[in-house]
Amino acid sequence: MAKQRASSTLKLENVTRSFGTTVALDGLNLTVQPGELVALLGPSGCGKTTALRIVAGLETADSGSLLVNDVRYNDTAVNDRDMGMVFQAYSLFPNMTVAENIDYGLRARKMDLPKRMKQVRKMLQLVDLEEKSTRYPHQLSGGQQQRVALARALAIEPTVLLLDEPLSALDAQVRSQIREEIRAIQLELGITTLFVTHDQEEAMAIADRVGVMNKGKLEQIDKPTVLYNEPATPFVASFVGQANRLPATITGKGNVKVLHQKISLSRHSTDLRDGLPVEALIRPESITLTTENDDEATQGLLVSKSFLGPLTKLGVALEGLPIIHINSQSKDVKSLEIGDRISFKIVADEIMAQNV
Amino acid sequence: MKIGRYSLNAFTIFLAGTIFFLPLLAAAEFSFRKPGGKGHSFTNYSWLLQQEGFLPALGTSLRLAVLSGALNLILMVPTMVVLNLKAKRYKSIVDFICILPLIIPVVSLAIGAQVSMPEFLQNTEYELVFFFVIVALPYTYRALDSAISAVDIKVLVEASRSLGATWFATIIKVIIPAIRSGIIGSLFLSFALAIGEFTLTSLLHWDTFPTWTVVAAQQNILGAIAISVFSFALAIFALTLVGILAARKKNQNLVLENEEVE
Ligand SMILES: Nc1ncnc2c1ncn2[C@@H]1O[C@H](COP(=O)(O)OP(=O)(O)OP(=O)(O)O)[C@@H](O)[C@H]1O
Ligand SMILES: [Mg+2]
Repeated sequence: MAKQRASSTLKLENVTRSFGTTVALDGLNLTVQPGELVALLGPSGCGKTTALRIVAGLETADSGSLLVNDVRYNDTAVNDRDMGMVFQAYSLFPNMTVAENIDYGLRARKMDLPKRMKQVRKMLQLVDLEEKSTRYPHQLSGGQQQRVALARALAIEPTVLLLDEPLSALDAQVRSQIREEIRAIQLELGITTLFVTHDQEEAMAIADRVGVMNKGKLEQIDKPTVLYNEPATPFVASFVGQANRLPATITGKGNVKVLHQKISLSRHSTDLRDGLPVEALIRPESITLTTENDDEATQGLLVSKSFLGPLTKLGVALEGLPIIHINSQSKDVKSLEIGDRISFKIVADEIMAQNV
Repeated sequence: MKIGRYSLNAFTIFLAGTIFFLPLLAAAEFSFRKPGGKGHSFTNYSWLLQQEGFLPALGTSLRLAVLSGALNLILMVPTMVVLNLKAKRYKSIVDFICILPLIIPVVSLAIGAQVSMPEFLQNTEYELVFFFVIVALPYTYRALDSAISAVDIKVLVEASRSLGATWFATIIKVIIPAIRSGIIGSLFLSFALAIGEFTLTSLLHWDTFPTWTVVAAQQNILGAIAISVFSFALAIFALTLVGILAARKKNQNLVLENEEVE
């Protein structure tokens, strides 16, 4: 299918929203480029849903602006916004068939019947549910229901597509399948999309850029690889991907001492003072096995080993520390057994640390 | 294990059937007996029709029942919808209020509520409509509540609105169809209760079908049985009618749907 219409830019400027004393959004700034899919990721309660609902018009901002193609949308009524919304679950009209559900927004726009029929058929094709057009929602699987919800949202040719954890009610296998379908359709239509999730794997897999939110603010927004490899804040470092948190001290001149090593501190670690105890964040794949006579080596007891195909996860116990997680190439650790004493060291140019 | 469960179910159904239907069948048979003689006839039913006040009493009750059903819907459907959409935290309070008619004795309800009625209503039988709606509240509330709880009405409304529908269209095309079973159930309950209510009506000295029945039954025992069988048939008839109406709507949708897409 050809692109539906010139894609739109979505912009949130300094948006705030409080519920009583709870600050849900605390000056949120976000721009989604035309045709781009941005995933909003963050812990529960950080304001993702609130942000999405403000864009949809289901919630109002206390202050700040919402712009679509630089036109202020704050005061546009929900039903005049032309935004497609896909909810978490159970949003299909139970008394209507699949086709009637998809048709609903078209009927509301008073399109004539032949046009509506054509569009409904197109949408059914898009989500590959042509044979199910006369079914009722309760006769569909959860995955099929979400595909209908997507078709219904896209039928109105929205300026922006909004999805609020659309896959969280599905089981793992269906989830990744539908995720790919959503992404394929989004790319095909070139529609500007905001996708809310608290599942980082999902966010990384589907998005052009991922925005990590914390306490009503955007901490960092960037391509998935950048978020992972160059987190801008300790929060992002610990929230995105797994990280060992190890006690460390700042030794001055931008260095940090952790285990038996001295490594330079990432420039993104701010507000840290020399000599005070901090917490270093170290990715499991930034630790490698080494030999006992390596000066920088630390010894520990292997307490767990799980084989995950090419990768094997190791757990190492050290006196007075939480279990340290190491990801190794399976071929390198084949001979290791639980109970072995092993030597390891951190291999990283710089590491991130935060106050404890 | 499985067989044990199955036979237990069968036994329960059998027992319930016996307790429920046997007296009904017996009453029906009785109502067709010829007074004082052998054999069956419609004598008791023709007696019923000839009784003075039968049709007016029935008319009054039907009128009150229709009004009760209507008032119940006008009052309860918007209340329940708004409650579930905008004010969920007040639900437990409403829940409690709606059970009160079961707890408060009808006598105190009659006296207390009568006093609070506006004068012009106190003088007409239509005051009963308000009482019937209140007395039916515990049942009508539950019927609506279970239907509304079965769907996520907030999400449905938001989906409808974001698809471009007005509030009016959302109510007509989404909310009402989604909770139709509850609306029909609650309508039927309030209707049935209004048709059969005796205590309040009698306490407030109004004449409706149930109060008329009590008086008429004192003269003719077979006639009285005919009356109760008749009332039961009336209730079954109303139930079937509502059921048919509810079922028909669905078929229409299906047809429309085929035309539209194929
Ligand atoms: N209608 C509301 N009334 C009161 N508080 C609310 C309301 N909606 C959201 N909040 C509060 O605002 C904060 C942000 O909520 P929001 O739903 O946006 O979080 P979220 O990031 O979507 O979380 P989750 O991952 O759990 O869905 C939370 O503290 C929440 O309790
Ligand atoms: Mg949420």
